[in-house]
Amino acid sequence: MKISLVISLSILLAAAALTTSRAIRRGTIGERAVAVDALTAIITCGLLTATALTGDAWFLDLALVLGLLAFLTSVTVARFIERRGL
Amino acid sequence: MNALLDIATIVLILAGAIVALIAAVGVVLLRDARSAMHAATKPATLSILLIGCGAVLQLDSLSTVSKLAVIVALQFVTAPVGAHMLARGITSDTDSSDDTYD
Repeated sequence: MKISLVISLSILLAAAALTTSRAIRRGTIGERAVAVDALTAIITCGLLTATALTGDAWFLDLALVLGLLAFLTSVTVARFIERRGL
Repeated sequence: MNALLDIATIVLILAGAIVALIAAVGVVLLRDARSAMHAATKPATLSILLIGCGAVLQLDSLSTVSKLAVIVALQFVTAPVGAHMLARGITSDTDSSDDTYD
């Protein structure tokens, strides 16, 4: 049980590392925003996995706040791109 | 019963993690912003649904379960809307979408 959840967490960590490298290395602002969007989804997945692993409920508070912030981030960046044409 | 729940949790969470990894590989490999968005929007709903279903089997109090349900529902409402707005912003300036900042 525990070992397979830790394996899942390491798979999610690898996915987060890949999207972070994409967000940092190259691309337009839109491509980076897409990568950051995927990164926040993967972090939320990791928080839910941590909840299943430890049974602590406070990971869910983090996931809730992160979901709201991710929505605000993508909407703000989208408005910025639309206005400025970057 | 308990072992059965554990096995279901393991299968669901591993499936969600593998979907997230495949999507991350897609985000790295696909070059165009809209192609990358095709890969990036999958874990925002599918992975979170799978991992949420797996995690809910390990929780025992009603308040925690309802909080997790709120998280998954919120993600299902906001992630497609955010991705749609981002796609509209990207599409609105197709002229400058091929110059990259390395």
